[in-house]
This record gives sequence, C-alpha cells and structure tokens, in this order.
Amino acid sequence: MDRQIISRYLGQPSELPAAVRSRIEESFGGEPVQLYGLADLDHTLQLKESWLALGPSHVALARPDAKGSWHVRAVERSHIRAVQDAPGLSANTLSLLGAPNDPPLAVVRYTQRQRGAFENIRFVLEEALHGRTVTSDDADRVYAEAVARPVRDAQALVANRRTAVILRLLAYLKPYRTQLTLGFSAAAVITLVSLVPPYLAGYVIDQVVRPAQTGGLDRTVASRIAWMAVSAMAVLFVVREAAALVRLRLMSVLGELVARDLRAELYEHIQRLSLAFFSRKKTGSLITRVTADTDRLWDFLAFGVVDVSLSVVMLLGLSVVLLVLDWRLGLVMTVPVPLFIYAIYWHGESLQRLFIRAWRKWSRVTDVLSDTIPGIRVVKAFNQEGREIVRFDERNDDVTDEFNRIHRTWTTFWPALMFFVHATTVLVWMFALPRLLGEGSALSAGVFVSFLLYATMFINPIEMIGQMARTMNRATSSAHRVFEVLDSKPEVQDGPAPVRLTPVQGRVTFENVTFAYDGVRQVLRSISFDVAPGELIGLVGPSGGGKSTVVNLIARFYDVSGGSVKIDGVDVRALDTGHYREQLGMVLQDPYLFHGTVLENIRYGLPDASLGEAIAAAKAANAHDFICKLGQGYDTMVGERGHTLSGGERQRVSIARAILHNPRILILDEATSSVDTETEREIQEALERLIAGRTVFAIAHRLSTLRRASRLFVLEDGKLAESGTHRELLGKHDGIYRRLYELQLQLQ
Amino acid sequence: MEQTSTTELPAHPVKARAPAFSLRRAVDGRLVAMTATGSVAVRLRQCFPWSEPRMHLSLRDEDDNEIALIEDPASLDPDSQRTLEDALAEAGFVLEVTHVLDIDEEVEIRHWTVETKQGRRTFQTHLDDWPRLLPSGGRLIRDVGGDLYHLADPKHMDKRSRELLWAFVD
Repeated sequence: MDRQIISRYLGQPSELPAAVRSRIEESFGGEPVQLYGLADLDHTLQLKESWLALGPSHVALARPDAKGSWHVRAVERSHIRAVQDAPGLSANTLSLLGAPNDPPLAVVRYTQRQRGAFENIRFVLEEALHGRTVTSDDADRVYAEAVARPVRDAQALVANRRTAVILRLLAYLKPYRTQLTLGFSAAAVITLVSLVPPYLAGYVIDQVVRPAQTGGLDRTVASRIAWMAVSAMAVLFVVREAAALVRLRLMSVLGELVARDLRAELYEHIQRLSLAFFSRKKTGSLITRVTADTDRLWDFLAFGVVDVSLSVVMLLGLSVVLLVLDWRLGLVMTVPVPLFIYAIYWHGESLQRLFIRAWRKWSRVTDVLSDTIPGIRVVKAFNQEGREIVRFDERNDDVTDEFNRIHRTWTTFWPALMFFVHATTVLVWMFALPRLLGEGSALSAGVFVSFLLYATMFINPIEMIGQMARTMNRATSSAHRVFEVLDSKPEVQDGPAPVRLTPVQGRVTFENVTFAYDGVRQVLRSISFDVAPGELIGLVGPSGGGKSTVVNLIARFYDVSGGSVKIDGVDVRALDTGHYREQLGMVLQDPYLFHGTVLENIRYGLPDASLGEAIAAAKAANAHDFICKLGQGYDTMVGERGHTLSGGERQRVSIARAILHNPRILILDEATSSVDTETEREIQEALERLIAGRTVFAIAHRLSTLRRASRLFVLEDGKLAESGTHRELLGKHDGIYRRLYELQLQLQ
Repeated sequence: MEQTSTTELPAHPVKARAPAFSLRRAVDGRLVAMTATGSVAVRLRQCFPWSEPRMHLSLRDEDDNEIALIEDPASLDPDSQRTLEDALAEAGFVLEVTHVLDIDEEVEIRHWTVETKQGRRTFQTHLDDWPRLLPSGGRLIRDVGGDLYHLADPKHMDKRSRELLWAFVD
C-alpha cells in the first residue's frame, strides 16, 4: 500500500529507479543498496531529484547531470567522522563529514516529506560511528514506509474507484437477497402502477366522456365504463400504497440489518487490531465510523440504491411513454431533461464549495468554544471575558453570513429550476393548443391530459438523478472510512497452532531483544535477561530509555524486531495471545475504569466472580472502606472513565480488579506516581499484597518505592545498562542508578 | 558530533552584540559561532518565523542549547551578516506557491496540486486543516508530512487559483 500511496499521491518514485540503483551498486563494487532516501531539494533549494544510498561499506550520492544522466559519487563509510543534520521549517540538510577541516563528504537537502527516510539513514550511520551495526533487509520497504507514513496515518487506504467501493458495499446485501428482491419488486410495482392512472385518464376522456357528450356512446354504457375506470384507478392506488408499504418496511429493515452487520464486523475488527493502529487514529474518528458512517450507509442501502435505480427506470419509461403518446410533444418534454439533471448536479457541486467555506468558518467558532469553555478559569483570571465575547461574535457573524450565502443560493436555484420546468409545460401547451383546435396533425384532449399528467411525474426522478453524484459521493466516503478500518491488519497475530500455557509459571526471558517501532530506529538494543517466577523486577532509568517498551513486549502489544521474548521458555509469538493475556495483569499510572458500577469494574476480568470474592479483592486493595462509604456501595456508578472517584480511589479499584484477575505476571506502570503521600502508602500496601507470589515488572520514577525489588534493571538509551539489587547498584560509584538515586534524595 | 574547538562554552547564552561574537562557515560546511570563550557548531532557529523572520535569531548547539540570541543581525560584522543571511535562507525556507492548479477531496485528506517557485508539487492536508492567516497577510498551509507552503498574496494570484482558493481564504 505504501508504494501505491507514493505513486498515486506524492508524485515521486515509489522506489529507487532501477537505472540509478544499478549505477550505485556498480559504484559499491557490486554490494547491494541497504537504505536510501530521495533528496528533493538541490543546493539552490529548487525541487530536484537526487538520491542518497547506503551500502554495507559505502555511501553514494546520485545526481542527474544537465543531460539527465545520473552522476554517482561513492565514498567509503569508514571515512565518515560525523553526521550532521540541520532541520529548518521545510528544508533539512544532512551533511556527512569527513576529516576535520576537509569539505563535507556529502551534503543533501530535502523537504519534511523525506525526513523519515533520511532519519533512518542518519540513525544507521550514527550507530556505525558508535561501533554498532544496523542493517535493513528490504531497502524499498523501509523507504516506502517512511515516505508514505504521514499520508497513511491520515488515510490508511488508496481510494478505490467509486464503482468498486459501491460493489463491495452491495456485497453486504447478499445475505438478504429475498428481502432485496421483494423490495425491488415492490418498488417496480410502484413505478409501473404510477404510469397507469394518467393513461386511464386520457382513455376515459377520449373513449368515454367525449363520445358520450357527442352522442357517439350510450350514456349507460359510458357510465359503466367510466365507473370501471374509476374502480380500476382506486384498485391501482391501493396496490401502489400496499407496494409502498412493503417496499419501505422491507428496505428500511434491510438497511438496518446491513448497518448492524457492518457495525458488528467493524467493532469486532477494532477489538482485534494492535495498539499501533490506535496510536495512529483518533478515538473520535473511530467512534464516528462505527456510528455516523454506518448510519449513512443504512440510508444509502435502504433508499438510495432503490430510489436512484428506479428513478432511472422511471425517467426512461416516462420518456418512452411520452414519445409513444405523441412524439412531437414528447420531444419538447424530454429534450430539456438532461439539462435539468446537469443543472441540479452543477448546483450540488457549487453548494459543496460554499459548504467547505462555511465549514471552515464554523470550525473557527468551535475553536473559540473549545478554547474558552474548558479554559474559563484562565479567561476570568486574566479578565478577558470582553475580548472573548467580541472574538466569538465576530466569528459567529462571519459564519452566519456564509450560511446565508448558502440559503440565498439554493433558494434562488430551485424556483429558477421549477420556472424552467414549468416553461417546458407552457411550451408543450403552445405546441399542443393549435393542434387541439384542429390545426396541423390532430391531438385528442385525452392524449393531451395524459401527457400533462405524465409531465408532472418527471420532477422527482430528475431531482433524484441530479443528486445521485452527491449521494454516491457521501456513501463511498463513508464506505471508504469503514473499509479503511476493516482492511487494517493487526500487527500482532497468533500462529497457526498457538500454544496455551496452563497455567503460566511466570518465567520471563529476553534473548538479544531489539525493537524498533518504525522498523529501523531501535528503541531496545540487544537486551537479554532471565527473570524467575515470583521475582519483583524494578525497571528504572531516564525517560525514553525503553522501560515502557519492555513491558509492551512482555504483554505482546508489539512483536520484537530481533531476538525473542520467552514466557516459561516458549516464544511469546507462539502463544495463544488471548489465553496468555488472561494470565497477565496491568496496573497503569492512569487507571481506566469503564462506565458502570464499582462492582462491574472490579469483576471486569472475571465477570463470574462471587460478591464475596469481589469484596476480598477490594479489601486486599485497601478499597473496601471507601467503597462502603459511597452512596450505593459496590453498586455505585463510577461515571465515564470513573470520573466520580478520586485518582487514588480509581487506582485502588484497578488494583482490586487486578487482584481478582489473579495474574501470573503483573505489570505496574507508575502505579503510585500521581497520588499524594497518604494515598501512596495505602496503594503501596495494596500492591504488596497484590505482588505476592507473582512475577512483577514495576516501572517507577520514585526509586524509593522499588527498594524491595528482587532486582533492578536500569535501562538507558535502549540498553540494559545495569542490573542488581538496590544495595548492589548503590555500591557502584559511577553507576547510573546511584546517580539517579542521589539526585532524587537531593530533591527531597 | 564534534565541535570545532574544545574550548569551554559559556554557561549562559550570550547576547550576540559583543564585538567578540562572529559567525562563519567552516570548511566542512557547518555554521560556527565564535565567542570570546571559543567556537561551536550551531544551528539557526528563527524565534518569529512569520512575525519577524529576520530578527531574534537563536543559535543552538547540537543538543539544542541556546548559544546566542541575535536580536538584530545588523549588530554583527559584515562577514557574519552574510553568513547569517545564507543560513537564514535555508532555515526559513518554505515552498512559495505561485499558482494553485487543483484542489480535490478524498475520504480523509485534501489533495493540492500547486506550482511553486521551486517547482510543481502535490501534497495532502487533513480535511479539517485550513490555511493559516499570517501576520504579513499571506497564508500558510501545512501538509500531513509537515512541509509548509506559503501563499504570499492569494488575492493577486491568477483567476483559476483564486477560484480554487475561494473556499479556503477570505
């Protein structure tokens, strides 16, 4: 997909051109290109293409000469003394420096779009300067991923042709073929039946009324035929409305069923996706897809598909009937139809432009609201209420002007369109009247009446077809958004025969683990350790050292880039992930409680636990007392995300939840960092009960909380820099742990 | 990365008015600030890239510590001013849009095809990202990759560009 994104959207090569690659590899002495990036600015900061490529022992810069052929200059990587990057607003410069006081070995300039690819190159070169070798097995993939990532994060799909998306969407109707067929048949009946009354009207006038008036038909016979016609018309209307009932009910239910299926498939898929996906997508955007987008698709499937297709049939049918009734008048009526359809389409497109402008101005109004309502204390503290009111009023007036512009446009368009439609009817009258009065070819009053009645039926299908483009656009946009999620593959997947550890003993082994979120820049470098069941391991070190990544890998939220993580000697990738996570517990810095009662939250991982077990867990978590003081005890609703409880209370409920879950491996991620000292003491007590008999990995910035750890792992710059007990590490005079510990003591 | 000199640097950034302060381009291409206490490779950062792009320029070392703050380049010697001018051209570079050729919307992104002083460019923005009004009256568009596109004066662009931009600028 990355390559498709680059070639479709970014207007640059999706990989190193073959001719350039072969020239570069020639200059490398036959060695392969391992990494590369497109430098899209030249030294005068004009957009121009050149390539920087990295091989095992060389780096090459390929530039086109004036004639367009590629000039390649390669230097040995061993000559590189430093790599310097100078970021600017939109231009970045990467310089490869050689010996001091020598000109740089290579200088490339590039826009932010290429930054990911060049950061990969810089990382590999800098690692080499520190004696570490990082290689990439697929240069094309790494380049495509780095360049396409910003677009992919914004829209994880290459938009398909509209027809392909609609066809995929229509495939969801398959299980409901019977209802669909019945719904379509009912709609077809409505269309056909609608064509009969005007014909009957014409027939009664020409064949019954006029002959009866002129004495050509016996009045009794005429009356019988007329009443039969009226009865037929009544039956037709009954049939029509019965068909309408069938159609509306079947199609709306069918649309709802398809929307339900889509929502279920979407939600199930979202639950299976890896954490990496959620870091790319906003929560609001995902919620919209499950709710508003599926609702819009219901509308399209329930009514749009049938309405549009039957409108086409209706319009064609009407045109044929009119031309058959009277081809001259038929032409007068049908020739302007394509113009009307185009006018409605054009009007829709114009409105779209107006709506974008209004939407932009509307977002300026909501900006003020989302700034000042949450920040009202600051507004008041700085006495800025007056200024904010003026700011809001200006924007409010502005957006009102835009909406009024939209109203002026559509209120002008529709009467104008209807004027032209009626003008067509007037034209029909102008052509018809002389003929009705006996000039030219004859035209009967009945045919003319039928004709006029048919003419009024043109309006609806014209409007429907004119708006078809917008209906389709909206449906395909929603379908794209839904399919974008459905087509995302979870990065972490179980193998074909996953292993179940029953129960997990709790031995955790890291063997030469390396990990990079983006596949190149490693945040963990060759980390190895073996933790016995029941050990309490403290993970410490500066921010960005890799502590959270270690626990993410233990929980298998991500898979390692190199080496392996083993649980009881089995590679975590071979395990049944769901079953394994049932035996894993986490207590996080910001505990997440779900909307529901305290009891439901404590029993989240074990819904069948008895009330006694829930109370026992709450007591162990030092939570029982405060829960009993709540108005409705364990049945108290905690509100969205548990907002009715304090931070310390939420944390103790989350510990009770973990205790009840009874995990074999427990991860504590800054569990006490955001509470006061007294609450921390209570939480610490609870944690001590929780960790007994389990393998525990605890991340904490307050090092004093980890004194009881069996061992401490100090992670710095992605490496396991030190390990040992608190006492052992304090004994290291130049140790990182000792330095951090002393620093914290000073601050206290 | 190495510094051009091992001399200790001042603990606090200097105000770049002292006569001892100068800037030069090293042979290896790096921008080097020379103070009374030594020299160090620096990067240039504009404090106000849109409000006052040529004043209040921060010179920072490789760890992003401020080495000097140049309030007004005129306070420097002519050679340093020229060096600074070159560095400013790179640090403050953004793509200058001259014509808007097409704006199209897709599912989550808006596609722009523009002609810039630097060449033709296609880029994408989020649907809810709008051009930003600058103090100079121009507009600034930021694409999903972080590149910036400057429209100096949308009202004086060609008719087609103005039509396309109508929904996006006032």
